[in-house]
Amino acid sequence: MSLKQETVFFGRQQLILTNERALFWEKQQMLVLSDLHLGKAEHFRRNGIALPSQPGKDDLQRLEGLILHFKPRHVLVVGDLVHAGANNEVALFGRFTAGFPGVDFLLIKGNHDRFPGDLLPELGIRAVYDELVIDTLRFIHHPEGHRPGLYTISGHIHPGVAVRMPAKRVIHFPCYALTEDQLILPAFAKFTGTDTRSLPRRARCYAFYEAGIFEVPQH
Amino acid sequence: MEAKEQQNKGYDIVLDWMAAQGRTPFEFQRKTWEKYGRAYSGMVVAPTGFGKTFSVFLAVLIDFMNRPDAYGNGLKLIWITPLRSLAKDLARAMQEAIDSIGLDWVVEVRHGDTDIKTKQRQSKQMPDVLLLTPESLHLLLAQKGRTIFFKSLKCIAVDEWHELLGSKRGVMIELALAYLKAQYKELRVWGITATIGNLDEAMDVLLPVAKKRVKIVAREKKKIAIEPVFPDKVEVLPWAGHLGGALVQKVVPVILQSKSSIVFTNTRSQSEMWYQLLLEAYPDFAGQIALHHSSIDAPIRQWIEEALSEGKLKAVIATSSLDLGVDFKPVDTVIQVGSAKGVARFMQRAGRSGHSPHEVSKIYFVPTHSLELVEVAALKEAVKNNAIERREPMILSFDVLLQFLVTIALGGGFIAADMQQIIQGTFAFHYMTDEEWRQCILLITVGGEVGKNYEDFHKVKEREDGMLIVEKRRIAMLHRMNIGVIVSDAMMRVKFISGGYIGMVEEYFLSKLKKGDKFILAGRVLELVNIKEMTALVRNASGTAITPSWLGGRLPLSANLSHFLRQKLALSVQAGVQQKELAFLQPLLLTQQQYSHIPAADEFLVENIHTREGFHLFLYPFEGRLIHEVMAALIAFRISRLYPISFSMAMNDYGFELFSDTEIRLSTEELRQVLSREHLMEDVVNSINATEMARRKFRDIAVISGMVVQNMYGKQKSNKSLQASAGLIFKVLEEYEPNHILLKQAYAEVFNQQLEEPRLIAAFERINASKIIYKFSSKFTPLSFPIKVDSLRQSLSSEDLEKRIQRMQQQSRKETKPKK
Repeated sequence: MSLKQETVFFGRQQLILTNERALFWEKQQMLVLSDLHLGKAEHFRRNGIALPSQPGKDDLQRLEGLILHFKPRHVLVVGDLVHAGANNEVALFGRFTAGFPGVDFLLIKGNHDRFPGDLLPELGIRAVYDELVIDTLRFIHHPEGHRPGLYTISGHIHPGVAVRMPAKRVIHFPCYALTEDQLILPAFAKFTGTDTRSLPRRARCYAFYEAGIFEVPQH
Repeated sequence: MEAKEQQNKGYDIVLDWMAAQGRTPFEFQRKTWEKYGRAYSGMVVAPTGFGKTFSVFLAVLIDFMNRPDAYGNGLKLIWITPLRSLAKDLARAMQEAIDSIGLDWVVEVRHGDTDIKTKQRQSKQMPDVLLLTPESLHLLLAQKGRTIFFKSLKCIAVDEWHELLGSKRGVMIELALAYLKAQYKELRVWGITATIGNLDEAMDVLLPVAKKRVKIVAREKKKIAIEPVFPDKVEVLPWAGHLGGALVQKVVPVILQSKSSIVFTNTRSQSEMWYQLLLEAYPDFAGQIALHHSSIDAPIRQWIEEALSEGKLKAVIATSSLDLGVDFKPVDTVIQVGSAKGVARFMQRAGRSGHSPHEVSKIYFVPTHSLELVEVAALKEAVKNNAIERREPMILSFDVLLQFLVTIALGGGFIAADMQQIIQGTFAFHYMTDEEWRQCILLITVGGEVGKNYEDFHKVKEREDGMLIVEKRRIAMLHRMNIGVIVSDAMMRVKFISGGYIGMVEEYFLSKLKKGDKFILAGRVLELVNIKEMTALVRNASGTAITPSWLGGRLPLSANLSHFLRQKLALSVQAGVQQKELAFLQPLLLTQQQYSHIPAADEFLVENIHTREGFHLFLYPFEGRLIHEVMAALIAFRISRLYPISFSMAMNDYGFELFSDTEIRLSTEELRQVLSREHLMEDVVNSINATEMARRKFRDIAVISGMVVQNMYGKQKSNKSLQASAGLIFKVLEEYEPNHILLKQAYAEVFNQQLEEPRLIAAFERINASKIIYKFSSKFTPLSFPIKVDSLRQSLSSEDLEKRIQRMQQQSRKETKPKK
């Protein structure tokens, strides 16, 4: 995978969308991502479904690459850091954050993030919020509600888009979905499905793949 | 001497009992009783209605009466049926026989609908005869202490084996039988089947290792009369689905003059449409006719079935949902709407009327387009020749095997080496390699290759004594809830907002509807009010509405039927046609002959048609829709290798179309090239998206093997976190475990079932041996027209379609006129 980026203006801020499932907010030196779903594969394995743990490890490796590239001061996870409680894969994240002592890891609470409070320091998360406002941007896990003058960035729905290709073929891509006042992040975890139906009406979609990121033409 | 006398005893009692009812046994019954008494296993082949149940069932009773001491307490006979609804009626008939013969055996049913109390009682005290589905048999094997159930078991009978063979449920039977046979060496296994094209193979699958086995074929045959319903005039340009409306007027009197009728359609949407058509044509039918298909709520279906057997209904419009099942005595007429697609299916449906052994089964055939009348001629020929389709047994279905291994591990465990021998003794896994077995065991114990990413995976554990067992209660429960190989689409229940269920509709259909949209289900117009947790709330409405088009309704034409179809068509224009269907079609056939050609048995027709719309290439292999799909992609691929061109494709059971907006330049020599048998499979693989096809196949595999959980226990939210789509898992495995045994199975299924490799090869061999007839035309021919219409159907809403077609027909007629 090679890092490709696309600069957009949202909520009067300049944001860099990447094809590696995270955006960079240069002004705040902040890397923003959502829906990591740590420990998902292991949760499946514990219930008798044999899935390899490699995708989860690859996610962390990708995050490492992004941090080394952008050198952010903060990493903000907009919810669903953890898939289903603590397990060994989740513990890996604690070791991961310890490797970046200069980076400030923050979490917006998502619907999957049900774990005891003392797990947070273990994971290297400095603070957790239900909702966080920085500058003109408001971060919340569920893409719901609206506050005047603020622009919402959220996750949760794992947005995807169907792109019509030549010869009547349709291919689905994960994407960022943008409207005037709302931005929905793709799921950072690769082992997640996408939802093409719950996007806001008339959203602009930035779809991405291994080698690129592009704005999907509107029809 | 004494033994001889005793042998007669049970037989005499049964004979007297039958005589008291005015019956005498058929020869095949007598033979079955005799062979069973001599400890044979076997397979009985007999048509429906000739008492094939009693061949095997009474054999067990006779043997018991002859040697009561050889039978212990508890379960003696397991009877497996493919349908729950069959079980109940069979059990009743068996119990009646037992009671009136004067024995004290108890017959009971056990399946998914049996209440827990009964199941618990049965687990403590088994009845003498137990009727099971393949799934409920596996559930018994998953119970701790299962050995108690089977200690007195003498016989397992597999009813309607032809229905199970050829599906993964058949593999379930194979596995369960192999396992039980290995534990209880004396066990007799008997199959009961209707005639199919590969009876010997069917017996090999059922009884792969039995030394004493016998195939008993009834000499009795069911007589079938086929009566086509002719339209008033022949439409020279026929199109599928259109004729129905015109013919409904002719179907009404058929229903009126019968006591009770079943109207068979091929798809659920077609059955909904016919229900409406009949009501419009004859409003008095209201309350006298009913609609029966698999999307209608089970209690309603049950009610309909009961009403039908009590003679309370004049007609039931049904899909294959009524192909099998209990006998409806009052039904004296069967009406088939549209192609039956196969000889076996047609005969089976015909057999639903005229029940007593020597009565004639009468079936009316209502064509949906006039060309289908050729099919009637073909069907008659096929029935005369008894050319019934084969049922190909499935092999190496590792998804079923994995499920089964966990089932056995759950009910007490197994030793891997012993189990390998048992499994390799089955037909399905005869060619399983040691390496494949090793992978299966790895998959259920450690998740995959050791040390590769599967930390904390526990499903089956090896105990110190080498037994493989399931320890965790959570896994046990999840597994029990998901035993079985029938994978359903995500369905939503449809419920009135005022209460009461109507049926089930695929989630993807409902997801396209907005609140207030109207759709048709169970013959009613319903308005969508709301969707809440997998239930669609609706209210009654009226006016125009859409009919859900359900997936999977489109069965392709069978190879046997297509063979006779080609034959009949070839003969159709020869002088002195006798057969009335073909005589009736003469105007259409002559038009085809005049503007193009009617292919003889050793010819292959290709039409290159240029219309205002664009350029069309029509080819007519008559091999059924599925094969045509593959062929179309292949031929398009091969032409585009000659020069750059892109096509859209359409197909029906008779042929397929390649359509392009640029001219299709193709010489006769090039045509021969693109139809070549050489490098066939290689080109097929290049022309299709095999990964995409495998991904679709993987859906079922993922569910059966337990990678995707279909049924969750309880409704706790935490269960949601265990859901992942098969497509996602497929992607992960493709990337990280490309050699995964279930991925390989998905690709194998694509080749064996989707591409039907052997049939495809046979088709190309036939085409290559044929004379290729290459015709050019500037208008649609009778053969090409239905294909063209079908391609429009896919891209247009139904109202638009009607108009477009009319315009096209007018245009085509105008163009043909000057030449006439």
